[in-house]
Amino acid sequence: MTHRLSESSQSASRDGIPSLDAASFEARVLHAQGPVVVEFMSYSCAYCGAMEPVLQQVAQALRSRVAVFRVNVAIEVDLASAYEIEGTPTLVMFSQGQEVGRSEGLNPDAATVMEAVTAPFGLQ
Amino acid sequence: MMNSTASAAISSTTPRQATPILLYDDECAVCRSMARWVVGVAHDSAGVPTIDVRPIGEDPEALRRLDPRLDIWKVYAQSHLLMPDGAILIAGEAVAEVLRRSPGMAWCAWLFSVHVFKRRPFQSLLDLGYIILSDVRPVFGCKSCGAPALWARPFAWIVKMVKKLTGTQAHAPQRPNFTPRAAKGAAKRPPPSLP
Repeated sequence: MTHRLSESSQSASRDGIPSLDAASFEARVLHAQGPVVVEFMSYSCAYCGAMEPVLQQVAQALRSRVAVFRVNVAIEVDLASAYEIEGTPTLVMFSQGQEVGRSEGLNPDAATVMEAVTAPFGLQ
Repeated sequence: MMNSTASAAISSTTPRQATPILLYDDECAVCRSMARWVVGVAHDSAGVPTIDVRPIGEDPEALRRLDPRLDIWKVYAQSHLLMPDGAILIAGEAVAEVLRRSPGMAWCAWLFSVHVFKRRPFQSLLDLGYIILSDVRPVFGCKSCGAPALWARPFAWIVKMVKKLTGTQAHAPQRPNFTPRAAKGAAKRPPPSLP
């Protein structure tokens, strides 16, 4: 285990999944033409942390077909309430601004997440 | 839009400050208790804090402004202590440094620097203690800390059964691999302060 980060450590990697607030949620999810996946999460949720690399991988694989965003439920409390998010992580799939699917809890492997987020859109 | 409590964790940061900054998980009751304890012991005779204790918050960019090497997921996974010289101590090393800088605990802190055959046995014990405490946090009711480590699951099961028998556990079964939103209350909690 490394206990001390060296001065030469590289900067922390940037998020590959854009975060949305209420305003951008409306523009990028509700008014989107194509399929959209929104992960309702929070950084303090260990299950969300465990799913992060998997979701990044899926988002990368689907980037030309499905837009993937995240909403932090600790900040966007009203959005989380509006979509009746009971806990994190919750993936909600939208098509033409309407919810078409939902997956709750940690899915630890990319194949399961891929299936969960593509099935509601009829994608392979 | 960042809520005010979450951003308060780190928004008032200066590029490099004289006091080390201890970042803690405000969603975890065990971590909050530890943070309160540090606030209580880490101050000099004049009452000036020797450690700046701050909740991690929910803003990864604010953390990066504090130090570009900080990754919010990793900071939530282990205690981080940002030193004035730019070093970042994590886990057991962070705990040892907090003890060194807490006048009331200095009597034991020197132990963690003792070398025996090029090893630091007391630091290794502290590291082990840190891992054990970190692993059992879910047993003590931290719903955002994930599942208990494999070795701690029998204890988690016993605690669950005891709670069930004594009627102190809600009847609704908890879904696996899922952090209930009701567990989140950081916005209502003030940061720890001196007793």
